[in-house]
Amino acid sequence: MTIVSFIISLVCFTIFAPLLGGLLAGVDRKITARLQSRVGPPLLQPFYDVLKLWNKQKWTVNSYQGFYILMSLVFAIISGVIFFAGGNFLLVVFVLTLSSLFFVIAAYSTRSPYAEIGAEREIAQVMSYEPMVIMLCVAFYLGMDVLNGVSNPGVFDTSAVFALDRPLITCLPLIFVGFLFILTIKFRKSPFDLSYSHHAHQELVKGISTEMSGRTLALVEVTHWYENILFLGWTGIFFVWGNWLAIPIAIVALLVVYFLEIFIDNNFARVKWGAMLRWSWIVTLVCVTVNLVSLNWHWLG
Amino acid sequence: MDVVTQMDFITQLNLAVLIVLPVIAAGIMLLVRNAKVRGGLVVVLAALIILASLAFGLRYITGGSDTLLIKDAEWLGYIALAIDIICCVYIIAKGIIYKRFLAVLMALVQGVVVVCLEIFWVHHALESMSHQLYIDGLSAIMVLVIGIIGSGICIYANGYMVDFQKHEDEHGKKDRRPVFFALMFVFLSAMFIIVLSNDLTWLLTGWEVTTVCSFALIGYTRTDEAIRNSFRQIYMNLLGGIAFSVALVILASGAVAGTKPTLELSALIAQGPSVLVMLPVMLLALAGFTKAAQMPFHTWLLGAMVAPTPTSALLHSSTMVKAGVFMLIKLAPCLGITTATGLVNFNGWIVVLVGGVTFLGCSCLAISQSNAKRVLAYSTIANLGLIVACAGVGTPEAVWAAIFLLIFHAAAKSLLFLCVGTTEHHIGSRDIESMDELFDRLPNISRFTALGILCMFVAPFGMLISKWATIVSLAETGNMILLVILAFGSAATFMFWSKWLGKIIAVSHASNEAEKGVHKTEWFSLALMAFLAFAMCVFFPLISEFSVVPYLKAAFPATLLTAAISLDNLIIMAVIALLLLAIFAIQFFRPRSKAEVGIYLAGVGTNSEEREYTNSLSQTAKASQRNWYLDKVFGEKALYLPSYIVTIALLVIGLAAAISIGLNFIQI
Repeated sequence: MTIVSFIISLVCFTIFAPLLGGLLAGVDRKITARLQSRVGPPLLQPFYDVLKLWNKQKWTVNSYQGFYILMSLVFAIISGVIFFAGGNFLLVVFVLTLSSLFFVIAAYSTRSPYAEIGAEREIAQVMSYEPMVIMLCVAFYLGMDVLNGVSNPGVFDTSAVFALDRPLITCLPLIFVGFLFILTIKFRKSPFDLSYSHHAHQELVKGISTEMSGRTLALVEVTHWYENILFLGWTGIFFVWGNWLAIPIAIVALLVVYFLEIFIDNNFARVKWGAMLRWSWIVTLVCVTVNLVSLNWHWLG
Repeated sequence: MDVVTQMDFITQLNLAVLIVLPVIAAGIMLLVRNAKVRGGLVVVLAALIILASLAFGLRYITGGSDTLLIKDAEWLGYIALAIDIICCVYIIAKGIIYKRFLAVLMALVQGVVVVCLEIFWVHHALESMSHQLYIDGLSAIMVLVIGIIGSGICIYANGYMVDFQKHEDEHGKKDRRPVFFALMFVFLSAMFIIVLSNDLTWLLTGWEVTTVCSFALIGYTRTDEAIRNSFRQIYMNLLGGIAFSVALVILASGAVAGTKPTLELSALIAQGPSVLVMLPVMLLALAGFTKAAQMPFHTWLLGAMVAPTPTSALLHSSTMVKAGVFMLIKLAPCLGITTATGLVNFNGWIVVLVGGVTFLGCSCLAISQSNAKRVLAYSTIANLGLIVACAGVGTPEAVWAAIFLLIFHAAAKSLLFLCVGTTEHHIGSRDIESMDELFDRLPNISRFTALGILCMFVAPFGMLISKWATIVSLAETGNMILLVILAFGSAATFMFWSKWLGKIIAVSHASNEAEKGVHKTEWFSLALMAFLAFAMCVFFPLISEFSVVPYLKAAFPATLLTAAISLDNLIIMAVIALLLLAIFAIQFFRPRSKAEVGIYLAGVGTNSEEREYTNSLSQTAKASQRNWYLDKVFGEKALYLPSYIVTIALLVIGLAAAISIGLNFIQI
């Protein structure tokens, strides 16, 4: 990651990610509506919603919450900027964890029973996806190691994917499956939208965001857009290699993955935390072990 | 006394002061009966120890190393032997008084082995002794950790024990504080001996003294529970002590084919991952496991929390358990997962797996605990497990991570223990559920606690940077099993820290401040630990460059050390740390700009602070909410059995392999 790539990424990600993320949310609502035989809101509805929230009266339950949410947004942006600048994948993950922590803390700071339940569930979600996310970074490194051959050892820098001869998906197929599983948690889609759902019918009051309103809630929404774009970036990293063909292929792959997530979202009811934790850990363990062991036998030591 | 060394006289004097001053301090503590005078003396003596360790540590932390040989040092050997015997006699006496005959038996065995070692074998090894004491980057770091953090805890204990004794007086208990402070100081001296000795018999003496000191400190209150827990500690640590002394017998008797009789740690390490020293290394690693409270020996550290809080802080952060991991880090060149000839190194694998299982098991167990001290204890054991596993991997990068985990853990964990101790005295509970709204009641203590918690698990603070380096070094060596363990354990770590942080960070504006009674000495130590924890994050590239890397280059001459985390990423971390500090500072001076309302309570909220509301039957109802502890999944009942089975099996396999392979090389 150079200073130049960092600055370009800083400007582009900060400006375009929420625009793209908002549009994606609009598409999401449209498709969801069609799946449920409704017409659905206009494509730009998510932007109208956020603007409306932004102009609401300024009420809050304490003077800290807004600050914590702002921190959550700032660290989500930093994380995304580092990722798209081609920086260290592990650093991206750690900074994003900091962002999740601030989101949880914001809910806890209110002492509202509903927000606290939401916060607990959010923590359970982090705990469910974290092993897969760390192993994703490790698999990224090991995959690069294999694809680069003996002359170049593995790296954690995401920019290195553009120098590959073939995409990572060719040697990390099961890792991709495991990642898709926890991606549902990351996108806050049913059946794993325990802490905070866009579907009113399966929500306990309003989950982790119960006590958030006005501008604070608008920021939560925007943070979610930033995160979604970042996660699509993580997905894209499986399909990119050093060829111009990679770009259209990756875009098609991302669209397919996002549609798959919407489809899952509309076809499964929310599960309890135990099922979420158990299944994401089992899927992670199986996918990671089988894929990495078959990647190269000598890694067993 | 004839001394062979490159050290100048002042430094030699400094070295002597380090070891002797805490012993003198302990003597003074026993003599002074007046509480006020003692208070002043504790502060002065602790300050002197801090100065002595600063002078000594900073001299060598920039990469220098020295050795020191005292010629004709039999008399020092006899002193060490005498101390060993006193320790055994003390345990035997206590065992007889409290009718714990297993302890008597074990202490007898230990005593007999040590005396036989002295009579039959020590003189073989003594002739070839090249140096008894050494100083390098690692021991300089350890001296600073023990000297500054250990003494800081002694200063804290001053104010803490005033409140503690008030409570004891109510129950008509005798004032035994002189003994308490004496033990705390002796502990420091013994730790200095452990980290500076190359002569393994001296190291063993320091080892035994820490065992006995913590035995006495855990049993300090003399309640039934305290006695029970102190004996549990002694069973486990005597087992380690016996393993240690048997290892010394094997090394000193020259029974290992192809090696000279030796009692030097440096000579043992120079053997590397060789099958010749497989048995002694396994025995020393076993001793390290017991002291570092690795599963299945972890229960003694959980039991240790019956002692006054400064004891726990001392045991968990800078002494005792750190002696165990220090030993394993020193032994790292003999571990590693392959031997010099490319075969599987059983010892290395056993250490990696015991450490790894302990890390995963205890991180999960911490989720199920609501007792703050117990959460801290499980987290300590888990982190020690990670350090042990890194030492077992045995590559320079992994050992680099292990050393930094040790340093960062020392500062952050002592800060947390001191916070919990003070909190307990002011809210009357150590239960995390009672720490609701701590931010309103003890604002500054809460900030310190929050800093300590953040230091333990998130970017950009030390523990996470070390964990990052661990992941990188494991990925480079392709250690899949440990990587998976690390990934799952880290997820559990996130759970138990963030839910605790959430509890204390909650605010409701009900200002019932209870912070007035906190003693000045307590504030001082809390600020010191907080400063250390933060400063280490900032200065950490320097510590790495000037003391850890030179140490590793000396310890692993054959391998090339590459930076696990590149400099630009470290700079990003440092910037984020400063950013966090800056925005928090601004936040506290920011005027409130928004109107505040009560929280939503599924009815008409009447009192947000008490979470009371009027329900649909027009009655006043109160909402209550507990954190998740997930006891059925992560509780002790669910996880103890599998962890015990795995770790005990590992130890049995390790010992069996070491004995069956190692015996081939032993000639009697």
